[in-house]
Amino acid sequence: MASTTKKSGRGRSILGGLAFFFILMGLYFALIQAPPDAYQGEVQRIMYLHIPSILTAYLSFFIVFIGSALFLWKRERRDDILAYAAAEIGVLFTGLTIVEGSIWGKPAWGVWWTWDARLTLTAILLLIFVGYLMLRSLIEDEDQSAVCGAVLGIIGFLDIPLIHMSVYWWRTLHQPPSILRPDKLPWENVHPAMLIALSINFIAFLLVYFYLLSSRIRLGELQEEVKKTRLYGAA
Amino acid sequence: MELLRQTTWLLWKDLLLEMRRRESLLAMFFFGVLLLFIFNFAFEIPRERAAEMAPGLLWLAFIFTGTLGLAQLYQAEKENHCLEALLLSPIDRGALFLAKVFFNLLLMLSVEVVVFPLFWMLFNLEAWKLLPSLFLVAFLGTLGFCAIGALFSAVTLKARARELLLPLVIFPLMIPVILATIRAMEILLRTGAFEEASPWLRLLIGFDVIFITAGFLIFEWVIEA
Amino acid sequence: MKAWDFVFLAYGIVWSALVFYLTVLRRRCRKIEAELVRLQSPGDKKKNEQK
Repeated sequence: MASTTKKSGRGRSILGGLAFFFILMGLYFALIQAPPDAYQGEVQRIMYLHIPSILTAYLSFFIVFIGSALFLWKRERRDDILAYAAAEIGVLFTGLTIVEGSIWGKPAWGVWWTWDARLTLTAILLLIFVGYLMLRSLIEDEDQSAVCGAVLGIIGFLDIPLIHMSVYWWRTLHQPPSILRPDKLPWENVHPAMLIALSINFIAFLLVYFYLLSSRIRLGELQEEVKKTRLYGAA
Repeated sequence: MELLRQTTWLLWKDLLLEMRRRESLLAMFFFGVLLLFIFNFAFEIPRERAAEMAPGLLWLAFIFTGTLGLAQLYQAEKENHCLEALLLSPIDRGALFLAKVFFNLLLMLSVEVVVFPLFWMLFNLEAWKLLPSLFLVAFLGTLGFCAIGALFSAVTLKARARELLLPLVIFPLMIPVILATIRAMEILLRTGAFEEASPWLRLLIGFDVIFITAGFLIFEWVIEA
Repeated sequence: MKAWDFVFLAYGIVWSALVFYLTVLRRRCRKIEAELVRLQSPGDKKKNEQK
């Protein structure tokens, strides 16, 4: 047990170092190397934060789903730890996405908030995540908490496409995503230097996310260890 | 089929209890009417815009009323270890879920059947012949609400601050139903026909199918936790 | 507020939040690790006490 923790600890440090490197690179490309947008000006640089953030948030939600499904199926503690960790960090990234979107919105649209599709969807995502955390913390029995959380994790994820469709049909004010336009190839729409900056920042965010996730999982494992030691004595 | 028989039997038990004590139904009914009353004070509803705002107000009232019903949904099982007894019997857990879904559905539909015409009269609306179609849309929406609601009412059974937690958890999940039902009703009131509303209706039906199925499959893990 | 102000505001908030979360996480980990060590060393006596 001790040797694996040391190894995973070293793996985590490497991941952290890599993340830090890519963050610096990302910052350089986002703030200095990439050109300002033709219409939005410098404010567009916030997109190098916003797009990776939202994608990472969705990834986190997916991981909550996977962890929840695995847990209900196999009932292994570590899947539950994974789900909880991903939910916690998912809240963080989703919250940040909303803040970034809002800060971008003020100079770009003139308002701090608007009920357009993308912002609304992100807010709903945040609500579901927060609901998950509240549900887990309000159920005292740990096993019950894990099962109930897993149910919400699965149902919430299944609901996402439906929420997407309903909110998009309801609102179509947001600019059509300039990268994911179906008729054109991704790289035809965006200036190449911007695409590079975006990609580097996306990698940076992914690395940060996984670094945080592995650290949070470690915390969960430690908590589990403490619980087991209290119940059954030292290993 | 066995499943249908069990579901009907469980549903009948709940209906019987309800008919004898009538706790939930009356409370829900009066709550729904009260909400409509309060909406009148909260929102300035000019005559011309009443038809526009009607679906939203109605549906809001139904959602809050339905949440009341959900909070009570497993009340009978909580007393006297009834739940343990049910689980000891070889009943399909899915049957229990379906019975609860339909029970809350019947409660809500009973309230809706009265409140709909009442609302129409209170706000002096016309288009009385659209009422059946509107009711169909409301039925689909209510079904979706009950599917998610019955599942999560069971999920939150053991949680503290349950009455607060249940709405907090289900309202974001209900957003497709809320949007689809209100938009479909709006379109119906505006155009009088179903064509324009069909994507919303398909979304509703899809929602109902997906979450009744999902709830049916997942319920046994919830109830046995 | 000028354009760059918004940019720096966004970047500032994001990275401080992430660093803050990491710090909190590390602190929680350290506390639990200390607890674990405490439970495991004069372990047996403590276990008997708790039982």
